[in-house]
Formats: sequence, structure tokens, C-alpha cells
Amino acid sequence: MKNSILFAALMAVASAALPAPAAQHIEFWTFSMKPRFTPYFEDVVKRYEAANPGVQVEWVDFPWDIIQTKLVTRIVAGKPPALVNLNVPWAEEFARDGLLTPVDALLGAERARYLPSALQDLSFSGKTYGFPMYSNVAVIAYNREIFRATGIARAPRDLDEQLTFARQIAQRTGKAGLCPALSKVDGLMLQQGLPVLSGGRAVFNSPAHVAFVRKLADTYRAGGLLKDGLFAEDNFPPAVEAYKSGRLGMLLAPPTALKRIQSDARDIYSITEVAPAPLGPTGIADGGWLIHFGVPARVPAADLPGIGKFARFLTSDENQLKFARQASVFPASARAANDPFFTALPANAGAAEKAVAAGAVSMPHSRTMYVAGIEDYDELRRALVKAVEAGVTGRQDIQQALDAAVAIWNRKLSGFLAVREAR
Amino acid sequence: MKRSLAAWLFLAPALLLLAVFAFWPVLFGSVLAFTDFSLVRPAHWVGFDNFRYIFNNEMFVTGLKNSLVFLLIVPCVQLGAIALAVAVNNRLPGIRLFRAAYYVPVVTTVSVVGIMWGFMFHEQGALNYLLGTHIGWLQDDTFALAAIMFVTLWRGLGWYMVMYLAALQSVPQEMQEAAILDGASRWQRFWHITVPMLRPTIMVCTILSVLGALKAYQEVDVLTQGGPMNSTFTALYYAYDQGLKHLKLPRALAASFIVSLVCIGIALLCLRHLKPKHR
Repeated sequence: MKNSILFAALMAVASAALPAPAAQHIEFWTFSMKPRFTPYFEDVVKRYEAANPGVQVEWVDFPWDIIQTKLVTRIVAGKPPALVNLNVPWAEEFARDGLLTPVDALLGAERARYLPSALQDLSFSGKTYGFPMYSNVAVIAYNREIFRATGIARAPRDLDEQLTFARQIAQRTGKAGLCPALSKVDGLMLQQGLPVLSGGRAVFNSPAHVAFVRKLADTYRAGGLLKDGLFAEDNFPPAVEAYKSGRLGMLLAPPTALKRIQSDARDIYSITEVAPAPLGPTGIADGGWLIHFGVPARVPAADLPGIGKFARFLTSDENQLKFARQASVFPASARAANDPFFTALPANAGAAEKAVAAGAVSMPHSRTMYVAGIEDYDELRRALVKAVEAGVTGRQDIQQALDAAVAIWNRKLSGFLAVREAR
Repeated sequence: MKRSLAAWLFLAPALLLLAVFAFWPVLFGSVLAFTDFSLVRPAHWVGFDNFRYIFNNEMFVTGLKNSLVFLLIVPCVQLGAIALAVAVNNRLPGIRLFRAAYYVPVVTTVSVVGIMWGFMFHEQGALNYLLGTHIGWLQDDTFALAAIMFVTLWRGLGWYMVMYLAALQSVPQEMQEAAILDGASRWQRFWHITVPMLRPTIMVCTILSVLGALKAYQEVDVLTQGGPMNSTFTALYYAYDQGLKHLKLPRALAASFIVSLVCIGIALLCLRHLKPKHR
């Protein structure tokens, strides 16, 4: 009897000593945020937990190239995170495969807070699939000394001028002028008002498309395009390296790149000028890239209200602004995007601050450019990139290369459409 | 009977681990190569559809051809490794330093190798400086595959050198001495004594390097990611690209299955032709 009283007392003390179970555990994933943004996210977690007793928030960061695999395996295992950082093409593919939960109900009245262009990017088949977090848009950084040596007095105003300037730079200085991301040539075509698909068929072998690739080829032949990583999946690192070492006249990159140039190559930074990236004939800015928080499929329905509340907090005006200022990116909330930090230029502004202001000018025109809704799109994109590479580098006649790629696309697309109709 | 039971008992722990982590996944993966599935969709039998798909896919066909071209490095690696092993099998001052130096590429991580050779092969890199040329070795589809093969060869030399060095040091000295007394020249001793004694090692090293060449993909990933114009795709890089980058697992498994068949076939050929005739 004595023993059982003692046991009961011990159990009572032990249970009192244990922390109360969390009312809700929210796990959210970001990609490639550690270590630079560790203090920011730890602070967000701390503030949310303090304001919402009983809620336990767990932040997990993955390298960007493994987050998709991790996400799919966790969804399959039935233990998805509550929120996950995604870009728009990933979200579109996940949504198409039924791996994301629409968030229209969770956005609620706060929908109006976000930039309409951002919500439009995240709307697939009439439903919204994420909480916009931040966006990037390219600016043009150019080397004043190279421009002066070439006799160019101002920044280019459109793609034709960019290519003309690049050729002039190569002719007069022997340096490359430009390094466009040609592995994403589909997006570039769309931005230039050249359709990739029409009526479910590939149409990128029209005379206008051929003329577009020919302009790139002429510039390549003249030495105006940087050869390092010109067609690489990610040509940002070689382009920045070339710019930092003074081998590249113009760099099309998000404002974050200017911070990197500032810290790694102060001499080049001091002779760098910045301008908004030219809009294409479509009025769309180059390099738009929205990052958001999506809600994976198989998240328990009972948890959704709590997840929605946290997602709205995570992407609140205040948090978006705070993050965007630290990261030199642009908020996807209307109020934060109009903050003077992005619109007013300080008196002693360097290229990095000018880049933020230049990006803010382009931000309302920023859209993520990609071809949506095609199964196995990446393989098709590769066929297109290969054709453009063959044409630009002079390995094949441009028309023939594009015709061959169009034939590959249409063969594949007819099979894809047949499967979709059969379903 | 008792002896063989004891042998099986000694082998059992390793066999069990192999069964769980190698034999079963290989068998299961081979079966899955004949199905269609995704991580969220259960598998259903599709027969040879995945194989038809990959053999109609330019990237895989190019990759398979390139993997076979990669076999050209096998004789180069073997001859180079034997030559290096003979060279460092001397009692010269500082010879250990050379042995270590030749082994360094083996222990250098592939990412570091990628960065280093990326600089070397750059249009304004060391190689063009030395040759007085202006070639984008990794950007030009004429040279890119050869450049990657060279890096694979460079990484493999040290490993095989160590194996040949061990074999050389086990060649009985008395045989060499007897041959010297019989008036054999250095070349005759090498050809008639050393090479036959090395034959089992040559066989093992050749099979290993054949398998290594057919399974090359890391160098491709760090140097070109299959470009320019898909010219450096290898069969296994295609499998890696489809399976781990794009989560198209059935295609990746079908490609891996084909690579395995080719590996087994060529390894059997090597076994047949390089097996020591007598010991």
C-alpha cells in the first residue's frame, strides 16, 4: 500500500515536471537559407511561439536540389511538413500531380495583401497553391570602364540593344558583353513575345523564332556572349565570376548578385552601374522568380487552420519586409513592396542599393516565365535548348535545328494529349 | 562437409548484409524496371515499355554509346598504372612521396576534382595556356567527352598503381635472380616473368576499370551535366538524371538494368580472355 502511494506520488511529480504536449506542431521547410538567414528564421519562430502558446514551430532547411525528393518521400510516408518553400514551376508540377493542397480558404481576406501578379503566378486550374513570400527580378549591372572603352554611354533598353552592345564590347575590348541564361531560352522566348506552344503544338520554328536565334548566333560568333556556362542549367555562378573578374561587360542578375560583387570584388563594384532590366515586348521583366510557401497534400485537415494562420504570419507584411531587406529580394506583399527601402534611393547609394531600386521599378512587371501543364516538360525543354545551342554555336543550321526540335516536341505532345484525353 | 559448413558460417554475416543491401535491391529494382510507378502511384506491369522509351530517347542512346566509348580509357589506365607501378617500385630517395602524389587524385573528392579541372579546361585556363590554344574544352562537343575521360583516367591511375605495386612486390625475387643468371635482359624478365605473375591482378584491375568506365557519371555531373548539346551523357548519368533529378524512377531503373547487363557481359568477356591459364 505504502509502495503504491509512493509510486502514485512519483508519477504525479513526474507528470507535472514534463512539459505539456504542444497543441499543434508546425514543421516548415525552406531551401538554402542556412546559415545566412538562421537568425531571421529563429526569430520568426520565437515570435510566433510567444504569441501562440502551445504551438510548437520547427524550421528545417534543405539544399535546394534535394528538397523536392525529400518532400515527395515525406508526402508518400504520410508525414508531410506543414509548409514548404517552392518556386512556381515546381509548385505547378506538384499541384498537377495532386501533391499540394489549394490554399484559397486559408488565404481568406488576407488575399488582398499579396501582389496580384504573385497570386496569378500561383494559380493553376483556378485554384491558388501558395502563400507568396518573395520574388526576384533581374537588373542590369554593367561595367562603366568597359562601356567607356567601347563608347557606350547608357544602359541597353531592349534585348536587341543588349546584343548590339555585347557585339560592340567584344569588337572593341575583346571581352564578352553578355551571358543570357540560354538553358531557360523558353522563358526568354515567351518574354520576347515568341510563343513556344500554340493549340497544343510546338511552334518555335517560325521565321520570328529563327530570327531571334540568329541574333544570338551573330552575337556569339562576334564573341559577345560569354561562353562559360552559356547553356548550363545554372549559368549564374560563371556569369558572376566573369563579371567579378572584369571579363564581362553586362550582368543580368538579381540585386543579390551586387552584394556578392561588393564583398568579393570591390574594384569592379566601384565601377559598376545599375539599371532596370529591359522589359520584353510583352511588358514582362526578365528574371522574375517567385518563391512561396505551399501546403503539401496529406496534411491533416484539422491542422489546416493553424497552418494557414502561421503561413499568413510567415508571409506577413512585416516579415516579408524584414526578410526582403536582409536578402536584397522583393516582397510579394503590396504594402511591403512599397516601402521606401525599395523605392527611395539613399544619398550615398552604391550599386547594391541602386540595384534594389532598379529591381523595384521592374517588380510590378515580374512574372515567372515557363511553360506549364506539360508532362515531362524538362525533357522537351532540353530538346529546345539543344537546338538553340546547335544554332547559336553554328553546329547546325538554325532552321533545321529548330525544325528537328519542334518535331520531337510534337511527337511527344501528341502522345501526352492522347494520354490526357484517355484519362 | 564440416569444413564447408564452417566456411559458410564465416561467410554468413557478409552474405546476409549483401543480401539485404545489394542482392535484394538489385533484384527488386530489376523487376521494377518492367513496371510504371511513381512515389505516389503504385507499380503496375508495363512489360518492355520503359526499355522502348529509353531506346527511343536520344539522351540514353547517346549515353550508352558514350559509355562504350569510355571503355577506351581501360587499356590506357591499365598500361599507365603498370608503368607507374614499375617506376615507383624502385628504392630511390623520395620515392614514397611520388607514390603518395600519384595516389592523391584517388582520395580527392569529385567536387574538388570538378572545380580544379573546370579551371584547367577553361578557355583561359592552364591547358590552353600550355598548348597555346583557345579551346573551350568542356564547351565544345568535339572535346568535352574526351576531356571527361581524361579526368576519369587521371582519377583512376593511382588506385590501380597501388594494386599493381602490391602485385609487383609479391613477384619472387629468386625468379628474377635466376633469369639474370641465365642472361635474360631487363625487358625479357619483365615480359616473361613479371607480366605472367601480374596476370591475375591485370584481370581484376581490368574488370574493375571496365565496370568503372561503364558506370562513369560523377565526373559528368561535376564538369558538364551532360552538355554541351547532350554530348557527354553517359548511360548511368542518364539513369541518375532521370531517377534522382526528375524522379522518373522506372526509366532510371530500365537504364540501370541495361547498364548492368552490359557490365556483366563485358566482365564475363574479360574473365574469359584474361583468366590466368596456369598458376
